[in-house]
Amino acid sequence: MSIRRFLSVCALTLLGALSALSPAQAQQDPLLETIKKRGKLQVGFSSFVPWAMRDKQGQWVGFEIDVSTKLAQDLGVQLELIPTAWDAIIPSLIAGKFDLIIGGMTITPARQEQIDFTSAYSTSGQGIAASRQLASQLKWPEGYNSPNVTFTCRRGVAGCKTVEEKWPKATLRQFDDDAMAFQEVINGNAHAVISSEPKPSFFTLANPGKLFKPAAENVVNTYEGFGLRKGNPASLANFNGWITKNQAWLKQRHEYWFRTQDWAGQVPKL
Amino acid sequence: MRENIPDQPGSLIAPRPAPPERKLPWGRLDAFWLLLIAALLAAGALRAQGAFSYEWNWSSVWPYIIKTDPKTGQWAPNLLVQGLLTTLRLALWGMALALAIGLLMGWMRNHPRLLLRLISASYVMTVRNIPPVVFVFVFVYFIASQFMPSLALDQRLSELPASAQEVLAVLFGPAALINNFFLGLVCLSVFSGAYVTEIVRAGLQAVPPGQAEATRSLGMSEGDSLRFVVWPQALRQVLPALSGQFIQLIKDSSLVSLVSIQELTFMAQDVQVSTQRVFEVFVLTAAVYFCICFVLSQSLAYLERRHARAR
Amino acid sequence: MFIPAPSSVQARPLRAGIMPGKGPPSDRHQRHTYTMTLSDPISARPPPAAPALAWHRHGAWELLQFALAMALLVALAHQGAQQMAYQWKWEKVPGYLVRVIDGQWLAGPLLKGLYVTLQLAWQSALLALLLGGLGAWMRVAPSRVGRALAWSYVELIRNTPLLVQILVCYFILAPTLGLGREATGVLCLALYEGAFATEIIRGALQAVPRGQREAALSLGLSDAQAERDIVWPQALPLMLPPLAGVLVNLVKHSAIVSVIAIFDLTTQARSIIADTFMAFEIWLTTAALYLCVTVCLSLAIHALERRLRRR
Repeated sequence: MSIRRFLSVCALTLLGALSALSPAQAQQDPLLETIKKRGKLQVGFSSFVPWAMRDKQGQWVGFEIDVSTKLAQDLGVQLELIPTAWDAIIPSLIAGKFDLIIGGMTITPARQEQIDFTSAYSTSGQGIAASRQLASQLKWPEGYNSPNVTFTCRRGVAGCKTVEEKWPKATLRQFDDDAMAFQEVINGNAHAVISSEPKPSFFTLANPGKLFKPAAENVVNTYEGFGLRKGNPASLANFNGWITKNQAWLKQRHEYWFRTQDWAGQVPKL
Repeated sequence: MRENIPDQPGSLIAPRPAPPERKLPWGRLDAFWLLLIAALLAAGALRAQGAFSYEWNWSSVWPYIIKTDPKTGQWAPNLLVQGLLTTLRLALWGMALALAIGLLMGWMRNHPRLLLRLISASYVMTVRNIPPVVFVFVFVYFIASQFMPSLALDQRLSELPASAQEVLAVLFGPAALINNFFLGLVCLSVFSGAYVTEIVRAGLQAVPPGQAEATRSLGMSEGDSLRFVVWPQALRQVLPALSGQFIQLIKDSSLVSLVSIQELTFMAQDVQVSTQRVFEVFVLTAAVYFCICFVLSQSLAYLERRHARAR
Repeated sequence: MFIPAPSSVQARPLRAGIMPGKGPPSDRHQRHTYTMTLSDPISARPPPAAPALAWHRHGAWELLQFALAMALLVALAHQGAQQMAYQWKWEKVPGYLVRVIDGQWLAGPLLKGLYVTLQLAWQSALLALLLGGLGAWMRVAPSRVGRALAWSYVELIRNTPLLVQILVCYFILAPTLGLGREATGVLCLALYEGAFATEIIRGALQAVPRGQREAALSLGLSDAQAERDIVWPQALPLMLPPLAGVLVNLVKHSAIVSVIAIFDLTTQARSIIADTFMAFEIWLTTAALYLCVTVCLSLAIHALERRLRRR
């Protein structure tokens, strides 16, 4: 064996040994310490009217933005918002791209296997908006459970699972965002769309000739919590404490964004 | 004697120049096409009136291009322009990095050593044979998450002096988005690098092997022979293809919007979600991409023609 | 230019593998003169055979190094996943490929998606070929409007990203034409690849020497006969390999239709990931499936090219 080959073998085996022997640098620091040391709270979310949306100035506004801002203020750090595609938000959290998910994420058992949730800081529901053209003759809710009926939803929301459970025979089409899912129904390409309230109500109000709500009450009532990586019980307890302390403020903010339309002047008209 | 040699492709004698193109007269075929277009447009308009359940409203989209700061009254670029700037930065820096990767891998592609050939061939084969969409997802969630946190770019950026930060902001975009930008940059570069590798390989192979042999017989090292003899000749072959790849890179940058890199298509989706104006935003985005790529491809073609004429 | 060798000159070929700086080899009992053989001018020598994957000891050693390097990559990836406390669930992946229900083998969602992808690919391929043929004809036919139309079609498609094109197709074209979702996907992909096919077919037609057509016309054949019997048979072997490349690109680009929720392979993969969060396993499996399809297609194309070249 020539000198060069011998050296290259040594180099390769050394590298291999190093990578195998070096300890797995698992996230052993408590989350809060990392945040305070960095001086920034990184929050992952997705645009979801009115949880988070862009106003006319291009700034992020919404219920989640308010919550994240207050949390960062109370922690004494700066806030960094990281918009992420919704169906990739949990893998992104696990991959360490941000510290928390504050994006109106419904607490579901499937998600709880992957990440930890705080206690609920807001409650919402899932609602259906149906196409007048295609679905006005369908009986609610049994008539929707047929292979000829198409539901749409945004990929990754808890509503997709609800459709699969309640209407297993129906076809479910998943889209990258809500606007497309609603547009499908408005265009008459799908029978109904499931989404988190108050979107179905907003859209039905905006398109009375094309959409209607087959049921007045929510299909499912949901609870939202902050999402954290597993293995941070101390930080989890801390955030739970914060939520409990700010219940009144959270309720007031929720009312503002979800029940009133006072903020409509900041954002473009729907 | 020249007339006896048949007109074969690749003949040693230069082919006869083409006769000058006469201006085409208007004929029946033109009339046919014009009638067909008119008929299709009419049919389309009729159907659109019935089938379209959409009211166009451009006024809500304009504010997202240029905004007026309410406090200072000054104009500032809003989301769409910011996304456009990010796209342009991604394209420029992406091309530079892809070129670096492609040069290295392209050189390795034809190396006598099997190991180097295998490494570069497997890189090219893997990247070129999976869909761009899948590559972007796999790279960003699998590979990038390995090294991105350890780079901690935003930390290092905040430690630099303010003047340096300003310069970097112009070159790489706002400091808050530097991680985001860098991720998109590396993803696009690794993706384009495979195509640049093939271009570089073809360029290096097009140089007659006698050149490399002559440099060896003159006693030049391999590095010098590449730098001074082989590469300048390969460049002639490589430049047109590289300019095409640059335009392709601008279009491929739209794919990284699927992993939340905040370039033009991502901003367009954001604006579309906020304003619910699906059509206006998409038509505007398509028009912007078209303008950029078209202008670039025409100018690069013009430069090529001038260069070819000058030689 | 060929220079005939004067037989009186003693000719010795250049020794291959001379390392510059190392001097002549150690058989000093012979005085070697390194002269270029005039009977074998460098420009006329065939290029040395491309380094093949020779299976001797030297090659086996390099192969081992490559295998070590790959193993290292896998180890790094595994360690990275450990760092994220990611729980691998590889045992669930085969369930998404095939399911056994009551002794019957049923295709799982991923294979069903692959089937839809392949269906989409071959339908778009046919339509793209038609569009390409039509476009190529329009570009060379003596009609101003036809040429302008074909040129603007090609430029429009080549200068906008595919993602934006499919969104425009789906939200604007589909309601106008009354097309369903799958038809829109097929149409969009066909329009996209049809532009490339147009350029390929046109290039092949124009690569046939002009003299062929002129000779045919001078022999009394009509325009149509000249095209059909003389030009096209020569153009066909030139255009088939790149067109086959278009087919491979179609399979890759078909992943984009997941944006409009056609149940192709990428859509199924994203839905499974959204449900189960097994991002890495599913993406790697999907990439492997696409790789299989494109590599098989590429191999078939290589075989086709070899057969054509032999003819």
